[in-house]
Amino acid sequence: MALSKNSGGHRGMQESMYSVIALVFILVACVELCDAAAAIDVYRLIQYDMSGSAYGSRFAALNHHAASLHFPPGADLSRAVLIIPLRELNITFVREYINQKKPLGGLLFLLPDIFSFENGGNKQVHEKEQLKNLLAELEQLLIHANIPYPVYFAFENDEIDTVLADIKKNDAIGQPATATTGGYKLVIPTPEPKKVASPTITNIQGWLSGLKADGDTNQLPTIAIVASYDTFGAAPALSVGSDSNGSGVVALLEIARLFSLLYSNPKTRGRYNLLFGLTSGGPYNYNGTQKWLRSFDQRLRESIDYAICLNSIGSWDNELWIHVSKPPENGYIKQIFEGFSNVAEEMDIKVGLKHKKINISNPRVAREHEQFSRLRVTAATLSEISTAPELLQGTGGLYDSRQFVNETAITRGVKLVAESLARHIYGHQGKNVQIFADGGSLAVNPAYIQSWLDLLSQTPRVAPFLSKNDPFVMALKKELTDHTDEVNMQHEVLEGVFTFYDSTSARLNIYQVASVTFDLLLLLVLGSYLIVLFSFLVITTRGLDDLISLFRRPPSRKVKTA
Amino acid sequence: MTMFHFFNCAILTFGPHAVYYSATPLSEYDTLGTSVKAALVYLGTALVKLVCLATFLKVSENDGFDPYQELLKAVIGFIDVAGLYFALTQLTHRNISQNHKFQAVGLGWAFADSVLHRLAPLWVGARGLEFTWDFILQGLEANANLVLSISLAALGSLMWLRKNKPKTLIPIIYACAGIVATMPSITSYLRRGLGWHFPKVVGFELFTSLSMAFISWQLFSACQRPSS
Repeated sequence: MALSKNSGGHRGMQESMYSVIALVFILVACVELCDAAAAIDVYRLIQYDMSGSAYGSRFAALNHHAASLHFPPGADLSRAVLIIPLRELNITFVREYINQKKPLGGLLFLLPDIFSFENGGNKQVHEKEQLKNLLAELEQLLIHANIPYPVYFAFENDEIDTVLADIKKNDAIGQPATATTGGYKLVIPTPEPKKVASPTITNIQGWLSGLKADGDTNQLPTIAIVASYDTFGAAPALSVGSDSNGSGVVALLEIARLFSLLYSNPKTRGRYNLLFGLTSGGPYNYNGTQKWLRSFDQRLRESIDYAICLNSIGSWDNELWIHVSKPPENGYIKQIFEGFSNVAEEMDIKVGLKHKKINISNPRVAREHEQFSRLRVTAATLSEISTAPELLQGTGGLYDSRQFVNETAITRGVKLVAESLARHIYGHQGKNVQIFADGGSLAVNPAYIQSWLDLLSQTPRVAPFLSKNDPFVMALKKELTDHTDEVNMQHEVLEGVFTFYDSTSARLNIYQVASVTFDLLLLLVLGSYLIVLFSFLVITTRGLDDLISLFRRPPSRKVKTA
Repeated sequence: MTMFHFFNCAILTFGPHAVYYSATPLSEYDTLGTSVKAALVYLGTALVKLVCLATFLKVSENDGFDPYQELLKAVIGFIDVAGLYFALTQLTHRNISQNHKFQAVGLGWAFADSVLHRLAPLWVGARGLEFTWDFILQGLEANANLVLSISLAALGSLMWLRKNKPKTLIPIIYACAGIVATMPSITSYLRRGLGWHFPKVVGFELFTSLSMAFISWQLFSACQRPSS
């Protein structure tokens, strides 16, 4: 019986050994579970090449210790990530670091909640304007610099605030985090950023046909209303451009809706065709608009009476500007401007005219109407901004969030444009007729404007990262299809001057790490503990002599006396 | 350096077992077989306990202390005692004195307990970048568990293997055995019911294990006197 029990036990032992080995293999194959102190979403600074020069942050992966602005002077930061909240930002400090190419492990900017859509809401922060200007300045600095380390943006929340407070405390003691002193480690495990292959820009156009009188074979004149819908900013994953040019897109859609109501009834259909254009490639010298116009039939281009381009009409109080390239004395320009001024007067809005000549040899196109003017089409841009922006400026960056846009401004802008267009189309210039009167069936719908504005403020729209079939582009197409007779999409490749790199957002893991010295100390303590335990056990169970005899093993003198 | 930390915690958790084996006369008498058998009995006991817990226990949403559930867990905990009884009495051991038998059984028992309960969390957790004190505390807990297992085995051998015991000491022996056997319930009550933090609980465990070891040592030597 003992024998069978033994063999049974042996087999049982074998089986349990196999199961233990299998378990061990499973555990070894286990991926290291992420048990970080905090894990937050971060958004990378844009990386692009323009005409061969490299701009933006050239790296994405991060694996360094964290440091705050209170680091002891003279500390080596080449393997540290500086965490800078926007409120404590000193722009000259950052500019110095970047321009003098001082070595740094990485930069992490913490943005206040007001710049995020979900949490920003309607919080009233008294330094809103200050922060907005500071962020705009920072963005311009970062976009035009070549930074050889990763730069990320994140929104402030409780987790990272506590971590930052801890880091500041450590730094104040004068103990910057390195491999031997512990602290916090920031890890972003992303692969190297790759070029975005053939970035596409998609232009969407909607055509609303006018009423052709019987027997009339001539082409009806056309009025074009255009807005560019894409953005460019320091963090492509956060460039929602609520004002630039979300407001323009929303206004265009609302105008399309109103005119589609008018045109649906043959009795109220005007004798003008309406062409609505949502163009892409705005920040890149309105490249998309140029390609769109070039694709037009010659006859169509000649039939365009004039074009109104909408850009940034979301945060003005009482003054709007109409920018033109043809001289103000030109008959057409006078007509357009007078039409707008009359309506504006009734609505208590001041409209000013700004004239800027175009220079065909200069590739820089500051405003959309200039693309039309280069092809001899009369055009004007309606905007709240009086000065012409520089390249990649005012294109809907980080600071351009929902907080700073006013729906009422857009509503009034829509009414202004729609009323002026309608009076021109139906020949009511100078007459005091309110076609889109408030409260009527053709009133401007503020709920429509608000819902589209909210959608736009949540959708980053940097063109190279919008694929051909991006859901947002499809949504715009569907909306225009609802309001117009015929919708066409034009896909083009963004000009070779710009090259973009991917990897725009990632997840940051913050680990609290102990230093190597700590583990060495621990090893020492454990070693001595085990030695003490060993000696204690030997002494208590075998006696002190045995302990001593362990150390004294003379090779000679092994006299075995029986 | 995280593998380094894992190595440190591993030697804290499993080192004392090896040291105990090599330091005491257990190594001289080659009682490894006994320890291995005791470890296997522990595995079997753990499986039985798992099945009983799964069958009888309700899963509670909150982490509070439910007296009825804890009572049930304590009753199931006595399966541990049954397992130890089986290991001490039913298994055939080579001719080793009682003194060494209970030590070998207790050692094997504690080693299996450490491996089963602590190796997996250590492997998965201590290798990561994030540093916590948990694994060092877990190692200290393993040490306390070793001492407790050996004292429980000593009391067990006193109860079941020694025939002539002084009458006055018998209730004390049973009382101590009861306390040691219900240690898991006591610690879980402290953690959940009173809300003690892990370091405090580990400190309590170390203290009680040392005191129980001392008491059982005294009892053991007291029972040994009449026969010697």
